Amino acid sequence: MGDFRSILPLCEGEQHVIAATQHLVKALGASKNLDDDLRKILSQLDSHLSAMTILSPESRGTGFREVEQQFKWAEEKIRGWESNQSLMWDSDPLEASEYLKAVVEIQTLVEGLPRLSMSGTRKQKELLNRAESILQTAMSRLEEELVHILVKHKQYFELGNMSFQYCGKDVVYDESFVSVEDMRIEEASQRNNSGNESVDCVPDLVHPQVIPHLKSIATVMFASSYDQEFCQAFISVRRDALEEYLVILKVEKFSIEDVLKMDWNCLNFEIQKWIRALNVIIRYLASEKRLCGQVFEDLGFLNPFCFVEISKVSLLHLLNFGDAIAMGTPEPQKLFRLLDMYEVVADNLLYIDTLFSEEAGTCVRIEFHQLLRRLADSARATLFTFGNAIAANASTSPVPRGEIHPLTRYVMNYIKTLPIYCSILNVLLKDQNAAASNPVAELENGLEVSSMAYCPMACHLRSITCILEAKLDSKSKLYKDCALQHIFLMNNYHYMVEKAKSPELKLFFGDEWIREHIVKFKQHATSYERATWSSALSLLRVGSAGSSSTSKTILKDKCRGFIIAFEEVYKSQTGWSIPDPKLREDLQISTSQKVVLAYRNFTGRNSADIGEKYIKYTTDDLEKYILDLFEGSPKSLQRSRSRRN
Amino acid sequence: MRATDNQGSFLNRISIRRNQVVSMDGNHEQELEDLELFQKYVADRFSDLLSSSSDEAADSLLSVSWLRKLVDVFLCCEAEFKAVLIMGRDPSQVSKPPLDRLVPEFLDRVVKALDVCNAVSHGVESVRHYQKLAEIAVSAFEQRPIGDGQVRRAKKALNSLMLTLEEKEGSNHKSAERAWSFGRRGATNKDRAAAGQFRSLSWNMAKGWSAAKQIQAMSANLVAPRGAESSGLASPVYIMSTVTLFVMWALVAAIPCQERNGLSTHFPVPRQLGWAQSMVALQEKIAEEWKKKKEKTRLAGLLEETQKLERLGQSLIEFADSFHFPAEAARLDEMASQVSELADTCKKMEEGLVPLQQQIREVFHRLVRSRTEVLNVLDQVGKVSAPTM
Repeated sequence: MGDFRSILPLCEGEQHVIAATQHLVKALGASKNLDDDLRKILSQLDSHLSAMTILSPESRGTGFREVEQQFKWAEEKIRGWESNQSLMWDSDPLEASEYLKAVVEIQTLVEGLPRLSMSGTRKQKELLNRAESILQTAMSRLEEELVHILVKHKQYFELGNMSFQYCGKDVVYDESFVSVEDMRIEEASQRNNSGNESVDCVPDLVHPQVIPHLKSIATVMFASSYDQEFCQAFISVRRDALEEYLVILKVEKFSIEDVLKMDWNCLNFEIQKWIRALNVIIRYLASEKRLCGQVFEDLGFLNPFCFVEISKVSLLHLLNFGDAIAMGTPEPQKLFRLLDMYEVVADNLLYIDTLFSEEAGTCVRIEFHQLLRRLADSARATLFTFGNAIAANASTSPVPRGEIHPLTRYVMNYIKTLPIYCSILNVLLKDQNAAASNPVAELENGLEVSSMAYCPMACHLRSITCILEAKLDSKSKLYKDCALQHIFLMNNYHYMVEKAKSPELKLFFGDEWIREHIVKFKQHATSYERATWSSALSLLRVGSAGSSSTSKTILKDKCRGFIIAFEEVYKSQTGWSIPDPKLREDLQISTSQKVVLAYRNFTGRNSADIGEKYIKYTTDDLEKYILDLFEGSPKSLQRSRSRRN
Repeated sequence: MRATDNQGSFLNRISIRRNQVVSMDGNHEQELEDLELFQKYVADRFSDLLSSSSDEAADSLLSVSWLRKLVDVFLCCEAEFKAVLIMGRDPSQVSKPPLDRLVPEFLDRVVKALDVCNAVSHGVESVRHYQKLAEIAVSAFEQRPIGDGQVRRAKKALNSLMLTLEEKEGSNHKSAERAWSFGRRGATNKDRAAAGQFRSLSWNMAKGWSAAKQIQAMSANLVAPRGAESSGLASPVYIMSTVTLFVMWALVAAIPCQERNGLSTHFPVPRQLGWAQSMVALQEKIAEEWKKKKEKTRLAGLLEETQKLERLGQSLIEFADSFHFPAEAARLDEMASQVSELADTCKKMEEGLVPLQQQIREVFHRLVRSRTEVLNVLDQVGKVSAPTM
């Protein structure tokens, strides 16, 4: 069976061009430095060219009848499928390629017919009309086939894998949950993030087997100038698939108003879904872009345009949620999620820039850069809100027993989570720190110090604890008892030091800070002892050696005075609390050393003068009683005294 | 500046003579001047818009290029407004009555406007889809000689166009369902064409979100300041609220949006306010258009280009229906002139829709920024109390 090309006439000029081209092709084909692909193309081209030149002047007269016969064959082929509801590529790919061949025949006819020698006759016009009509039928059919293939053979990312890799921030941050395996996957995904797009790991969104079918439909439809229909159909189906995928990822549609009103638990949940979705979608889009590339490969510059059309709406949707979150009021609890969001956008930004590098994608690129900036602003504002919130924390009643203030706990545990975000925070805080000159940093500039302790985040952490310290100082004033003020401050400073010494924070707070603060809580311990015991112990201080005039009565009064003072201290301070056992023990020992020693000296020297009856407690008793202090359960010695009296 | 001090003399001054310098706080003087300038600015912008919306002009009312002008006007007014409200002001002013109530109300409207921007932005996407379909018809009809094949091709595209133009507003659920059920399309061959590639986008807003309700909510408690308030900062807040409401309303009327059932056509803007006159005139014109449309034809929006596509599309479908090969020259000429009008319309859309979409996005970003700035001012005054821990 010949084809129309051999029948349809060519004008003379064209024939010369063909002859010249044939020479060129032959000359090229003789070259030895050709790869197989090129050689194949050349040989195909050669046979095409030969087919075009076969026609001789004689064949022109009979041409039309042959053309008609050829046309009938192709028309029947296409009409034959009209009533057939089953889909071509499903039922028989061979049949499908026959169909395509018929379409190409018609195409050639439609293109060549107007040039036929008797062009302009009624018969010829009618044939052209029929040909165009059948071509329309075929195009319509191919469009349906295209949609069907795209829908039927679409594939999604295996969510199992993806969720495993990408929703794991929380899990990864909480060390107790991290298995070695998870870590490795996380690292691997991180590496993929920063590396350039590796085509190997991009999954297929449409079964690879049908790509040639899609391409052949595209080629035929484009050749017949049905490119608009093809693009519309292709974009529409792929856009739906992406929207559908967002639904699979459980990304819901919220208005900004909804997001701003949403309670934190919901919001937290939605943010985590969003983070995961963004990670997955960006990778999905890499596949989408490749698919566009495969399908539109040989068809001009439509590829970036189609890709952007497919992805824009869904991405705007994701962007909007991000914008809405960044618009929310800065609340300390939101910080970590904001940082997570910042991180996922920052990590993917390079990807996004690559995916949307063409002009058609400019708007998407700009939007993501803007979102990143907004998230940064919002995270920064939240971080400073945290400091302000500490300063604004108002409570009028002191913490019972001088224990650790909930604010101290909250602040220290909060900042303990921050080092995970160290690199992000350093970026976010860098400009800020440059603006407000930091005396600490300036001081250390000349010295060789561990850089970790002087990174912007470390400075910020210390500035937060600085606010906390000021707040604690003012809160200590809520205690009427000066000694309890010191216990409270000692407890809280000690707590801060312990947290600062944890592996997460140690490097950021630095040895110097830790040393300074150890000194601080020790000073409060000393101050406590002075405040509590100095007056009582002064009673036990007997005048200088020469004061023999010290009368027995005075000694007895002093002894009684001390015992009353001790009992009062016992009564109140057994109710105070030092939650840390080591710290409590240290203070008990140091108190014991001072008090028991003084008591022993006093009673040892003066027991004869005072009389056994007035020496109510032995030194062992005192030692034992001191161990009851700061246990947080008030006790009393009063009853035993009254009984003895 | 103490807001209460000069209220009395303030009023007097306005009623007597504005330019006469009475012994008064310099700030007040400045403020009053600012307010007047702002009102004049808004009045001028809208009167330009009104005069350019006459039918003969290139930017006729509700055309793509007119909407772009409208959005431009909004952006300009917004910038001026921010200057009046924030720049060089003592921040404590916004925390005093009546602004302590009016400013948060205004910010509330801003948030609603953001959602409207998003809905309209998606609506523009639908309009671009109309354009693509019309373009197919144009390129089919432009083939010469024209035969049955190209006429059928054009008709198919135009039928799809008509179908999407009439897509019911409530159909968001339906189309969402359709799109998101696995492989439904193509499962039955009969559905293939109907549920095929020519359907428009599904509405991209939250379930239950309604543009009409949003506009309604924006106009709730929008009351012109009276008495002493009308000469203070309450006035620009009111003006900007009205401008925002009007612009959002006009966009919703022009561009297809999720749920426009019961979109109000009446505005609570007193005619007698000088700055509002052109706006009210425009509003009445658009409301007239809105009422003229039957419910069915309203769905695609009042955008001039959309209306043209609809009219020309309908007429060209009729041509296609009665087409017999070979075509009569007279009918062909008639068709050709309609096709060239359709091509012109598509060209205008091609040139204007993407920039319009970008402008709307700019409005979105601008509103977000301004909201943040105003919140910062409120924050400075300590109006927004620190969150409790």
